[in-house]
Amino acid sequence: MNQECRIGVYICNCGTNIAKVIDAEGVRNKVADLPGVACARTYEYMCSNPGQEMITRDIHEHGLDRVVVAACSPRMHEPTFRKALESAGLNPFMLEIANIREQCSWVHDDRAKATAKAADLTHAAIRRVARHVPLEKQEAPYTPVTMVLGGGIAGLTVAVELADAGQKVHLIERESRLGGNLGRVDLTAPYLDSARDLLAEKVVLAETNPRIDVRLRSTLTDLMGFVGNFTATVTHQDGSDTEIPVGSVVVCTGYREFDASRIERLGYGRHPDVITSFELEQRLRSGKMETADGRVPNYVSIVHCVGSRNAKYHTYCSRVCCMTALKYGHEIKSALPRAMVTDLYVDMLSFGKGGEDLYRRTSELKTMFLMFEKEDYPVVRAAEADDDCGLLVQVHERLSGETIDVPADLVVLMVGMQARSDSDQVARTVGISQDAEGWFIESHPKLAPVSTPTEGVFIAGCCQSPKDIPDTVAQARASVAMVLGFIAQGKVEVDARFAQVDGDLCSGCRVCNELCPYTAISYDPDEGRSEVQSALCKACGTCVAACPSGAITARHFTDEQILEQIEGVLAWSTSQP
Amino acid sequence: MAETVEKKKLQIAIYWGAACGGCDVAILDTDAFILDVAALADIRLWPLAVDGKYADVEAMEDDELDLVLFNGAVRNSENQKIAELLRRKTKVMVAMGSCAHIGGIPGLANEFSRDEIFNRAYLDNPSIEEGNVVLPVAEKKVAAGTLEIPHFHRAVRRLSDVVEVEYFLPGCPPAPDQIKAVLLAVATGNLPPAGSVVGASDRALCDECGRSKDEKKVTRFFRPWQIIQDPEKCLLEQGILCAGSVTRAGCGVRCPDSGMPCRGCYGPPPNVMDQGAKFISAISSIVESRDAGEIERVLGEIPDVMGYAYRFGLPASILQRSTRSQ
Repeated sequence: MNQECRIGVYICNCGTNIAKVIDAEGVRNKVADLPGVACARTYEYMCSNPGQEMITRDIHEHGLDRVVVAACSPRMHEPTFRKALESAGLNPFMLEIANIREQCSWVHDDRAKATAKAADLTHAAIRRVARHVPLEKQEAPYTPVTMVLGGGIAGLTVAVELADAGQKVHLIERESRLGGNLGRVDLTAPYLDSARDLLAEKVVLAETNPRIDVRLRSTLTDLMGFVGNFTATVTHQDGSDTEIPVGSVVVCTGYREFDASRIERLGYGRHPDVITSFELEQRLRSGKMETADGRVPNYVSIVHCVGSRNAKYHTYCSRVCCMTALKYGHEIKSALPRAMVTDLYVDMLSFGKGGEDLYRRTSELKTMFLMFEKEDYPVVRAAEADDDCGLLVQVHERLSGETIDVPADLVVLMVGMQARSDSDQVARTVGISQDAEGWFIESHPKLAPVSTPTEGVFIAGCCQSPKDIPDTVAQARASVAMVLGFIAQGKVEVDARFAQVDGDLCSGCRVCNELCPYTAISYDPDEGRSEVQSALCKACGTCVAACPSGAITARHFTDEQILEQIEGVLAWSTSQP
Repeated sequence: MAETVEKKKLQIAIYWGAACGGCDVAILDTDAFILDVAALADIRLWPLAVDGKYADVEAMEDDELDLVLFNGAVRNSENQKIAELLRRKTKVMVAMGSCAHIGGIPGLANEFSRDEIFNRAYLDNPSIEEGNVVLPVAEKKVAAGTLEIPHFHRAVRRLSDVVEVEYFLPGCPPAPDQIKAVLLAVATGNLPPAGSVVGASDRALCDECGRSKDEKKVTRFFRPWQIIQDPEKCLLEQGILCAGSVTRAGCGVRCPDSGMPCRGCYGPPPNVMDQGAKFISAISSIVESRDAGEIERVLGEIPDVMGYAYRFGLPASILQRSTRSQ
């Protein structure tokens, strides 16, 4: 098989990233004479323009029909090298990447062994690429209509921006009003702007723009199809369904606050003057800063990290609570200049633009900052009759080492953010994944922050992880850019890698039918055969592995290709049983 | 021998390697057709039914035989020697039955090392009297000379692992109709391309099975006697471990039609390289749970998974044999 091929092999030094552990020249010498290898070279940076040009030149001069690049992870530069092949007239699938950086130089330090392993991986890629076949990409039209899930600040931003760009939007909100969690907030940190002002304009724009179809008390209950060609089923409060064709879905379903009654020692639910940050917002909005029995509080205690950064509840930081607490310092002092405000915190995380400045200004207002140990929440108890306050908050203060009773008439708990309880249902419906805490997972934390593994489904705002308003809006606008990109293209490319059923081998046993996470498999009862709809298929391989009769093949991941790869890895192995 | 070369009658041999005798019985099971065979062919060797000695075969010209039906796996040196001898003497070699085709039931011995097998068969076994320690040895010197028995090989192999095979006739045993069809094909010279699996389909058994098939969600697996089955419904859907979906059709759906699950004797369809692995993959895929513990419990209730999955095909699988020290 290999003898008939003309394979070009390129081993990258990646500056020193690979070179410091792997002898690329040694790898080259070892693989250069393998059957089918027409030329083998090493280079400093294969992904650079000169590196890519080396490949395209060799394709012309040596008549290469396949290429192996031994470099970094294919997630990094497979698209780069595919384009290089394409530009030289080769089918982009005639490429195989051997990952000798992440899987080799970055994880080993023994030079001789790492070089031997890099040679094995390269050999495997050479054996595999000989079995590659050209695959043709397919195209499908893109429906320029977008569905936005959630009418908080993220969803409103997406809807209004898209409509401003002239696009049709369906805004689906499960509650009876737009605004989301931001609608429950008074002022925003760090500049103390009114949340109401931020929202009101967007809500009006959304409600009045004829290109935005707002559906309140509605949820997305089914999403069929694929990018550019989804059919979304929206279920309304009265139980009726509407089917809407859409091109993309932007998920902006937000978060819910931590249930403070889970931490018993904080007294929430037992003492009426222990309230959550959202309950304080409500009082600030209504201008009624008083205790449960209508007194003006002289002492206000603010407890940070309620449910956050704690092994028992949520290990992550909810990101906005410190800033919000500093903001409360201001708001309380401006409402009640004589009140004493105490901030009980774990670490003061006032990062970002304007953050430190807000901290400084709050300190200047004589807010008292007391530090407690992460796992050691303060204990709230009723004060004695002769105390001049309603509650006492006992805290083991870290900096002084003292145990202090802090007087309080009002205790404000900075409840963290957590994934919504119905987030798993949303994830299942739109076909995206969740992390251990329930947040939706993006395609790449840095390079693809609003994309998901399901093409045409984007995530923005706190449904992805806790974040503040600027980050939420940034993500919302990033998703708008992604959606407009699709609309500008007017069509979508359907991956050439997908599972295929050989109708001559399918016995109609239906083992595969229930397995597809993307509902790409259907069963034809007349023919007694199952079929994979290629545009829906994400080439995950689940049905391929399950198909008992070997009738389903994954294009570009055939048994033959994988076995060749395994043979290649083991070819020089000395430890055969 | 010169006159026999000219005769029109087919020259055939039927032989058994490591086998139970069922394939030979299946040939007899062609009923009256066996008389036609006798009229059609000279049966030059058939240890079960006809006289004939190895020496007679050794004396034949190469290619003197038209057809050899070889059933049974290759377990020992005798099986291999006769397979090689018959290969030289015949034009067409047919691997008949599951054992010759894919290793068969004897192939399950490949789960164990030779020492483990001998230990179980000759030493640690309830039917062996205490203190009776006799292990077979290939050569034994006695007063009258040296006694020899065949060497016991390290692993069971398929016929095609040892000699070139023209056709594979699957089944445990093959259906008598298919045996007839092969004999008639050779007699009329109407032969399929070499390497073919004859008397079987490229699709899995489900294709021919008349039971209704729906999406499969299994919460418990059963052995056939543990459940009153729905006679109309797919057995696997009912949790009965039926290997039909990983097995070539061609048998006539005899087992599922009789209320018994397919055991996989026709071997895997052409694109499946490991019937047992596919079976395990398929049954794991249909367990109705997303909870790892629950899935483990459901699958853990299957007794002897190796025996179920690789009942007939261990030597033909990727696993092939135990690699424990011999």
